[in-house]
Amino acid sequence: MSRLAASLSSRLPDLVGPARLIADATSLAACEVDGRGPSAILQPNSASEIAEILRFASAERLAVIPTGGRTHLGIGMPPRHYDLALDLSRMNKILAYEPRDLTLGIEPGVTCADLDRELRQKGQFLPIAPRFGDRATLGGMVAAGMDSPLRYGYGATRDFLLGVEFVTGEGLVSKSGGRVVKNVTGYDLHKLFVGSLGTLGIITRLNFRTFPLPPRRQMFVIAFDAPSRAFEFCRSLVKSPLDPKVLEVLDPGTAALFQARGVDFLPSGSWLVAIEAAGHESVLARHERDLASIYREARAGGFVSLEESQRELLFACLSEFPSIALAANRTAVIFRVPILPSAMPSLLEGIRSLADDHGLTCAILIRALGVVYVALLSPKQSPVEPPLEANTRSPLINCSRSMVDLFISQGALPTIERCPLDVKTALGVWPPPGAENDIAQRLKRVFDPRAILSPGRFRGGI
Amino acid sequence: MHRSIIRELETLLGASGVLSNSEDLLLYEYDGSIEESHPDAIVFPARKEDVVSIVTLANRHSLPIVGRGAGTGLSGGALARRGGIVVSFSRMNHITEIDPENRRAVVEPGVVNLDLSRAVEKYGLYFAPDPSSQKSCTIGGNVAENSGGPHTLAYGVTSNHVTGLELVLPDAKVVRVGGRAMETPGYDLTGLVVGSEGTFALVTEITVKLLRLSEDVRTLLAIFDTLEEATDSVVEITSRGITPAACEMLDGWTLRAVEAYVHAGFPVDSAAVLLMEVEGLREAAEAQAAEIGDVCLRHNAREVRRARDARERALLWKGRKEAFGAIGRVSPSYYVLDGVIPRTKLTPTLLRIEEISKRFGLVIGNIFHAGDGNLHPLILFDHRDADQFRRARAAGSEIMRLCVEMGGTLTGEHGVGMEKNELMPLMFSDSDLDLMRKVRAVFNPADMLNPGKVLPLGKGCGETRLQPFPISASGEA
Repeated sequence: MSRLAASLSSRLPDLVGPARLIADATSLAACEVDGRGPSAILQPNSASEIAEILRFASAERLAVIPTGGRTHLGIGMPPRHYDLALDLSRMNKILAYEPRDLTLGIEPGVTCADLDRELRQKGQFLPIAPRFGDRATLGGMVAAGMDSPLRYGYGATRDFLLGVEFVTGEGLVSKSGGRVVKNVTGYDLHKLFVGSLGTLGIITRLNFRTFPLPPRRQMFVIAFDAPSRAFEFCRSLVKSPLDPKVLEVLDPGTAALFQARGVDFLPSGSWLVAIEAAGHESVLARHERDLASIYREARAGGFVSLEESQRELLFACLSEFPSIALAANRTAVIFRVPILPSAMPSLLEGIRSLADDHGLTCAILIRALGVVYVALLSPKQSPVEPPLEANTRSPLINCSRSMVDLFISQGALPTIERCPLDVKTALGVWPPPGAENDIAQRLKRVFDPRAILSPGRFRGGI
Repeated sequence: MHRSIIRELETLLGASGVLSNSEDLLLYEYDGSIEESHPDAIVFPARKEDVVSIVTLANRHSLPIVGRGAGTGLSGGALARRGGIVVSFSRMNHITEIDPENRRAVVEPGVVNLDLSRAVEKYGLYFAPDPSSQKSCTIGGNVAENSGGPHTLAYGVTSNHVTGLELVLPDAKVVRVGGRAMETPGYDLTGLVVGSEGTFALVTEITVKLLRLSEDVRTLLAIFDTLEEATDSVVEITSRGITPAACEMLDGWTLRAVEAYVHAGFPVDSAAVLLMEVEGLREAAEAQAAEIGDVCLRHNAREVRRARDARERALLWKGRKEAFGAIGRVSPSYYVLDGVIPRTKLTPTLLRIEEISKRFGLVIGNIFHAGDGNLHPLILFDHRDADQFRRARAAGSEIMRLCVEMGGTLTGEHGVGMEKNELMPLMFSDSDLDLMRKVRAVFNPADMLNPGKVLPLGKGCGETRLQPFPISASGEA
């Protein structure tokens, strides 16, 4: 049942036309964020339609959440209000693609899968990994701040996002950055959009630098009986002249999660290091040779050079760790912890002993350049969505709280990327606001003075 | 400026920490651009606390504040456009910490760019952004301008290499943004502040990423009889999946001027030379160098030279690195432009620049980062001739329009500063600029920090764009 006043509802069709106004219960439920659904879904076709919608929403103080493939709506805090979902899936055009300039301009609703196909035809790619399923969109990936194993070799989204066009909360069409690979003209407002969860504006165009596909890729997996050896190996690798594009460490728990997804070609019960090399045959051969020699020195337990189909599967798992953990365990609490490599070994010990103390297990995936993902798993898989059963809830919440304290005591600022609503409500998903919070709050007021865009979902209650 | 304010500053910083004599101030009227502005005092803080005191004092007296590194900037970013206090960071030049395992360094803003790379070389590391002025320019200045350099083609500009900053805001509050880790939850304030051209905050500490030195580097020089074949080679090289660490081009006029002075071995009857470098694993560098050679020869390069050792490499680079000195020999002044176009538009753009050169009756040389389409046309003029100076500015502004028309931007690495702020409407609408103004006001509400930069000044402010004669501008790019 619509919570919007009838007088307002009646004006919605004027904004996008009746065909692109959706209000049936099933569709509305699909746009729920933390159990809260919108009163209507609008499917705009253009920046100017979005501007009109936001001017209307701003005047009427209606809360708006942009959606793409709806694969990552669970990130962030529950919205304080939620009236309209802005479904951007119709804005799915590739606006400009110049393979010879390695530049790309797209609408936000282009799916990762479609884009990957398009770029592949020209021998190029974007190092935001293609996601499971065909739904995830580039606008969503950028707004949710998703990362990829490829950031080790190619940088993170902020490094290859050249510009953004957007509509502010007041309905002003605006932009920042440019469409060429190098540019320092004006303030880099577009950097703010990466990971901003739709709190600053609705993205209407993204400009990226694209990357040429390497002639060949090869992934190697090396097994270790102890995490200390895996880290020692990574340290040696990082000091060597080798140039991996992916470097990740998997604990036995993560390896087990991946095994359930068909990654049955890896040693089980071990700590695994996954390394991807890219380039000409001679470059791959050199990696294989040198890795084997570092591996012998590290007295590791196994060395696997993956087939192409195996590589693709493992790469997809590495990209999709949070979704995989969540699919295996509906009450999983998944932390994303940026931390320096030198601090990882002791952090890992702390994580594992905390989980033990609370009778929980965990799966850990480490992007070796400095991000640790931890999935805290309840022993008994809950067959249903939260709310949790009382006996599961308290260890999970208590352990999560201790986990957050642990991370913060080690100087890291963790985000809980996914968790049951109870945990969200009890702990919050963001680290406590820091000294920069005042600036962030004021920036929010510049972009969205009436706080109608995804209100309450972001760090600092923004 | 009132004598009593100078005395207050001297009390804060000691007599040697303040300059206020007119002959001393003269030296700070310029940077590497063709702009000029007169400051009221120069101060030399030694630590963050000094910066806070200076900002507090400036606030009390409603004086503008402008940060300054080495003054090598090319868009007037470090000039005191409205007078006031210039804060020179030359005494805050300490490398606070080097963390080789995590590949980070923490530095004060006055650390010279190349000094950091030298300090970390023993760990096999370096700091990637390498403006041509890297022997003198400071990392604080790099942060303000989001500086690039020849090797940013492969490794990105300054913002790609900064993870955290300590800021002194115009209200004298100290705030840290980002940190040492790869990312910080919340808005990317570090990414926003890098490149804000000193209009958001004074930066007192910078955490940077360090990269590992490559195992191998190959340097090639390709010589072409037509400009078009050179630019076509560039497009093919990059679109083939080769990312040279550097890909620099000199046009015929420029290479002749350089050859006359530097004797780098450029054939003076050629139309263009491409200087390219690939680095990485030995096998990768070797394969890519071979492929680059092939591409150039297929595009009718007259010759492709390869450096066989460090000495030959230095010789090939000599022509590029000393180019600006060479130009200084043939012209009393020159105006270095900085614009970006899509790589594929290089040929038509260079032809149009030639046409502009003829129309304005000024020689324009081209020496630039071809790999990322970052042009640096050099307009030669005599600053003693008011008409030539006027024409140089007009031609520059026309070339900037051309870049935008070609789908490019107004600046690739030098910044907007006070050189191009009035050209911003070529790229941005009034509402875009208004939003940027509001974002600046979040940090700098009264516009007391580096006023008159980046954004257009707007009508009715009474400022004239006419400038007095500059001393020979000798910036590098």
